Amino acid sequence: MHITFRSFRLIPSALGSVLLGAALLVGPASTPAGGQTALTAPKPQAPRFKPLPAPSLNFYGSPGLIDMPSAEMLPDGQFATTYSWFGGQSRYNLTFQATPWLSASFRYNGIKTNGAQIAGFDTYYDRGFDVRARLWREGRYRPAVTIGLQDFAGTGIYASEYIVATKRFATPPLGGRGQGGQLKVTAGLGWGRLGSHGSIGSISGNRPAFVPGDTGGELSYDQWFRGDVAPFAGIEWQANDRWGFKAEYSSDAYALETGAPNVFERKSSFNFGAEYRLSPRTRLGAYYLYGSEFGITAQIQLNPKDPPQPMAVPAPVPVAPRSAWATEERHWSRDWAQSRKARTTLRDALAEALKQEGLILEAITLPAGGSSAELRYRNTRYRSQTQAVGRAARAMARLLPPSVETLKIVPMRGGLALSQVVLRRSDLEALEFDADATEALWAVTAVQEAPALAQDALVSEELYPAFATSFSPYTAPSYFDPELPFRLDIGVDLKASYAPAPGWRIAGAIRQRFWGNVADGRPSNSVLPRVRTDQREYAQFGTTLENLYVARQWRMGQDLYARSTAGLFESMFGGVSGELLWKPVSSRLALGIEANYVVQRDYDQRFSFRDYKTFTGHASAYYQLDNGYHVQIDAGRYLAGDYGATFSLDREFANGWRVGGFFTLTDVSSEDFGEGSFDKGFRISIPLDWLLGKPGRNRFNTVVRPTQRDGGQRVEVPGRLYEQVREGHRNRLNSQRARIWE
Amino acid sequence: MTQVSGMAKGMARRRKGQEAGTGPGTGARSGLRRAPLMVAAAVMAVLAACAKGPEDKPINLEIGRAVSDYIQQRRASRNAPERPPLTRAGLDDIKDPYIEVTLEDSGIFAYLSQQFTRQDDSPGTIVVWRTEDNVTLSLRDGVLVATRGLGNDILSSSALVDGQGPKGPSHSGARRYHIRGLDNGSWQLPMLCQREDLGAVPVTIVELTYPTRHIREHCSPAAPGRAGTIINDYWVDSRSGRVWQSRQWAGPNVGYLRIRQLTTGG
Repeated sequence: MHITFRSFRLIPSALGSVLLGAALLVGPASTPAGGQTALTAPKPQAPRFKPLPAPSLNFYGSPGLIDMPSAEMLPDGQFATTYSWFGGQSRYNLTFQATPWLSASFRYNGIKTNGAQIAGFDTYYDRGFDVRARLWREGRYRPAVTIGLQDFAGTGIYASEYIVATKRFATPPLGGRGQGGQLKVTAGLGWGRLGSHGSIGSISGNRPAFVPGDTGGELSYDQWFRGDVAPFAGIEWQANDRWGFKAEYSSDAYALETGAPNVFERKSSFNFGAEYRLSPRTRLGAYYLYGSEFGITAQIQLNPKDPPQPMAVPAPVPVAPRSAWATEERHWSRDWAQSRKARTTLRDALAEALKQEGLILEAITLPAGGSSAELRYRNTRYRSQTQAVGRAARAMARLLPPSVETLKIVPMRGGLALSQVVLRRSDLEALEFDADATEALWAVTAVQEAPALAQDALVSEELYPAFATSFSPYTAPSYFDPELPFRLDIGVDLKASYAPAPGWRIAGAIRQRFWGNVADGRPSNSVLPRVRTDQREYAQFGTTLENLYVARQWRMGQDLYARSTAGLFESMFGGVSGELLWKPVSSRLALGIEANYVVQRDYDQRFSFRDYKTFTGHASAYYQLDNGYHVQIDAGRYLAGDYGATFSLDREFANGWRVGGFFTLTDVSSEDFGEGSFDKGFRISIPLDWLLGKPGRNRFNTVVRPTQRDGGQRVEVPGRLYEQVREGHRNRLNSQRARIWE
Repeated sequence: MTQVSGMAKGMARRRKGQEAGTGPGTGARSGLRRAPLMVAAAVMAVLAACAKGPEDKPINLEIGRAVSDYIQQRRASRNAPERPPLTRAGLDDIKDPYIEVTLEDSGIFAYLSQQFTRQDDSPGTIVVWRTEDNVTLSLRDGVLVATRGLGNDILSSSALVDGQGPKGPSHSGARRYHIRGLDNGSWQLPMLCQREDLGAVPVTIVELTYPTRHIREHCSPAAPGRAGTIINDYWVDSRSGRVWQSRQWAGPNVGYLRIRQLTTGG
């Protein structure tokens, strides 16, 4: 069999152009190489990463049938977004599989009425949280069983509880060809909304009714599994890896919607649908529901462990062992260490080499003994500090005189030395092509606290004073206004920063809005000091000074970091702030304390203030659990003068993904707090490099609160210490160790 | 590899338009009335976005760069010329060793120059081959032991070479790969490999025919319950022992590579 070259593309290279020239001269196509038949023979499947299954989702964004849930779980860490619509009812769902057996969902839904209003709205918008836990896995004969709480803490329009079982069976492939399919049989019992049609009785007491317009937000455990219970069931047939068909019997009577608001007419309890998997991550569905309505879903699933583009980093320069190039006795002399000129030359050469890697040399110490070197640098390119350490080590091994054996590498952030990674140069030389290169090198790498900068360190002369500017677009969203659920401002930010010396930072940002509708939002109805709900008033101004502050951060003692900041911190507050953080390099635990005295800024966000002043501060504890879970507790006084504590739980992936939730309980009553009863929300942080498949340090951060109120709010001080510091500590470096040779 | 190259070039070219943006405009309410103007201004802002100094770059700037790189890359690949037919006369002018590597799945190919060669405590000589846009392949006596810059690379691997006599696999035995992938991890892939000599085959590479022996390395998972078989083929010169041509597995992302030695530099 011949290999033709027609479909190939030319890679621009020096050789390529030489060959192109040659081709013009001679012409004929290349002859096929001998022995090629073996290349085209059918081959068995090579090892591959098992593709993660993506079960189909229901109208509530959880694995399930159409309107009813099933007992399936998504693959661990999966992140699903769903839009569903039928009969004037739309639901936007986000589901996160937090552990292999537990998932949580957030939903924003709108119900368009055709008759009476719901709680005074023609289109009633609401938010809700679901949680689902698998009680046991599917066995050979035993179905998987899952228990779920739907809309368990909102105003409860979709409030229901269920216990559901699903069993899967293999089916022959459709049309006798291709991969086989799967039949999933599901049956369950529902309470609340899912117990409202075809009830078979009640096992435990009465259930309080749904009250539209209630402040909501509190756990409605007094109604869980109370009242009527009804069965539901259905089947899903995955005919092949593209097409799926569903049929179900719904136990939801839609009592509210089919009553006075006349949202739609429920003529039947049977729903039917077909779904098509457009890509491994996307599925579309069309349905016929309740004998009267058409419906659709769009389902997109992502898994942080499965990036759309695998990260490809330009290859590093191989480490050349000294034995190959320092072949004479004189090469190994240590005299160079006495010469200031030689050391400065080394510093500049190293700075240049690091620049190619996106690293900025801050200082290098070359002690007179000539056998060790300590490099301090700033990493502006790689999310993984371990990868930056690897690149820095290679540059040192390439450029330093042969007598240097101990390489000490200190990643820096905002003038803080984060840790000191110690490597032997001989290990680096010996292990690059070892069969187990990564583990072998990591086993002989030490991570310890960085000492203070040595007296005789050669500090980069280019770096300080450092001036940086950027000019870039911004977007600022605002969610969940009942009139318009999504509002947005867009414009540009002009930012500048000046660092006169390590650890110092003077920075500011001017914001110019081009277009936006946040300014048309809801005015505040808060009875607390309006520390956050005046967002609309602040949005009336298009040209604003976002922030302007002076900050200094430094190492105060062993394992102790400090920061002080003064100025305009954020669009709503300015003042003075101080922070202390205790975080040993190898510790999972960190403790911090922060105190701020802040004044509320004027709506125009220039240099003037309103007359609200307050003291706010917190004591914080941070703890890194196993498997990437991270907990944080902050207790103290919040912006509105309320006292309480915030609890946060995040799941962090080694590639930088973070998904978590938080809630704050303070001494503000739920009546004073208003809608939602207490502050809570979730946050998602997606690294841009994960999406693009090339190195970078930026990330998309989203914090979503079902309602933004004034209780339990903290000031946004730029440059809090914890995230800066722990990035270079043992835990994080260790989780990224696969990248040290990359 | 073509794509990677286009990307790298795009990055280098994207430094124009600095400071071209205009800052202050008008407030939001007038902005709403003059929406088209504002949209134009927003587009201008995206195009003119820039950053200077030793700080992290703003995210919208990075996104803008990525999008424009992508467009450039698409345009570049549309205009890419055909692969030129190689001729021995053309190759004879080249003084350095080069290999040609083709990704079997996509047909993307590149010419790699010899960047570096060394020995270490394990048998065999390591040669690192590099594309102009910094993708490298490391071969130990002709056996692929590491890749860099392809994504989900082979971080490291052992090779069944003896460092004496003909290159390529010299015996059967255990091989293990460490594959980068999923959540920033490294995945060990222990394999048991059977070496087979499939006999003498002449191999022609750009007009020159070499007498070779076809050596096959057939690797199956060493750990129970693992699936996936790797079959590496080598065509080893019967006299000099050089691997003229091979087909080797380069990780789950890349699949198989076809490698042939175009020039030896000697």
